Amino acid sequence: MERLKPETFATRILARRPLSARAFELALAKPAGFRFAAGQRIALRMGGRERDYSLASAPAEPEIRLCIRSVAGGTVSGELERAPIGTALSFRGPDGYFTFTPSARTAVFVATGSGVAPFRSMAAAGASRYILLHGVDAAEDLYYAEMLRGLATAYVPCIPHPGATDAAPGVFAGRVTDYLAGRLAPGAFDFYACGRRDMVRNVTLLADERFPGSLVFSETFY
Amino acid sequence: MKIYTGSGDRGRTSLFSGERVRKDHRRIEAYGDLDELNSVLGALSAAVTGLPAVQAELSGIQSDLFHLGAWLATTPEAPATATLAPIDPQRSGRLESAIDRMEAELPPLRGFILPGGHPSAAWAHVARTVCRRVERRVVGLAAEGGPPEAGEQVQRAIVYLNRLSDYLFVLARHLNRTQGVDDVRWNA
Repeated sequence: MERLKPETFATRILARRPLSARAFELALAKPAGFRFAAGQRIALRMGGRERDYSLASAPAEPEIRLCIRSVAGGTVSGELERAPIGTALSFRGPDGYFTFTPSARTAVFVATGSGVAPFRSMAAAGASRYILLHGVDAAEDLYYAEMLRGLATAYVPCIPHPGATDAAPGVFAGRVTDYLAGRLAPGAFDFYACGRRDMVRNVTLLADERFPGSLVFSETFY
Repeated sequence: MKIYTGSGDRGRTSLFSGERVRKDHRRIEAYGDLDELNSVLGALSAAVTGLPAVQAELSGIQSDLFHLGAWLATTPEAPATATLAPIDPQRSGRLESAIDRMEAELPPLRGFILPGGHPSAAWAHVARTVCRRVERRVVGLAAEGGPPEAGEQVQRAIVYLNRLSDYLFVLARHLNRTQGVDDVRWNA
C-alpha cells in the first residue's frame, strides 16, 4: 500500500442517522480523487474548527461515513449534529497509520465507544476472523454490531455494569481490559486498540505482561 | 490523536511494525538518534540568518529524516514495510549537488579545521557529528540482515546519512564564509 499524502477536499453532508442517543453517523460525499486505507482518519473542518474522525467506511464504499459521538458542549459535534443535509464543509486527509495488516496471528480489535469506527472500515474492506471487544456504557452504543459480529471469530460486547449480561447477546459484564486480563487465553496476537487513552494504555501494558510476542497498534481518541 | 497514553511508562514502546520492545532496543536507539539529529537541524536552521535557500534545504532534509525514521522504526521482515514509500536515491544526489555548489565557492581545504566559528557553523558541526552517530547505528542494524528489499532501503539510508554528514561539514564552512568568519584551523 502506498502512503497517501493528506490533501484538502470539499464535501457536503449527504445524510445523518442516529446510532444511539449519544452518537450518530454522518454520510459525506466522497470527493473525486480522495483515496484512503481502511482505518485511517480525516480532519473535518466545521465553523472554523477542526476535529479528527476515523473513517467508518471502507475505501470501496461510495460515501464517506463517520461515527460521531455527541459530546456535551462539543462545538464541532454539535454543529455536525444540527447542520442541514447538503451543508458544504471540508476535510484534510487521509492521515494516520492505524491500518490492518493480516498475519498468521489472530487479530484482536479492542474499541471503546466510537473507537469502533476504524474496525467497521477494516471489516468492510475485508478483515475477518478477528476477535472484537467493544467497550460501551450501554447496549444501544454497540454500533455496527450485526455487521461486525458476522465477520468475527468472537464478538464480545463489554459493558462494565452488574447485570449487563442481560443487555445483549454474549455480553461480558466488565471492561475490555478485564476481558483481556481474565478471559482471553494467553498467546501472541495482533492487538489493534482504538478509543480512550486509558484503555489504549492498559491494553498495551496487558499485551506486554500477558501476551508476549504480540504486536500492538493503537489510535487514541480522547 | 492524543500525544500521550502512558503505555510507555514501564520502559517499553511500540515499533511502527507493532512489536513491543524495550526503549533501549537498538532500533529505538537508532531512530532516537535520528530524532536528535532532526532537532539539531532545527536549531541549525534557526541559527542561520539571511540565507533562506539554506533554510529551505535544511527543511527538506528534515522531511527526508522523517522518512528514514519510518524505515528504522520498522523491522525488515514486517508486513508494515509494504506501507512505506521507498527511499529515493535522488535525495542523496541532491545533497551531492548542494555540496558541489558550496564547495565551488570555498577556498581549498589545506588541513584540519576545528568545529566552530559562527554559531550557525558550530551548529552544523554538531549536526554532522550526530549524523555520524546515526550512521553508525544504522550500519549496526544493517548488519543484522533481513529480506533483500528492506535491506536495500537501509543501504539507501546509509548512503544518505554518509552524504548528509559531508553536506553538513561543507555547510559549516559555507556558513562561516557567508557570515565573514574564518574557519578555525587546527595547529598541530
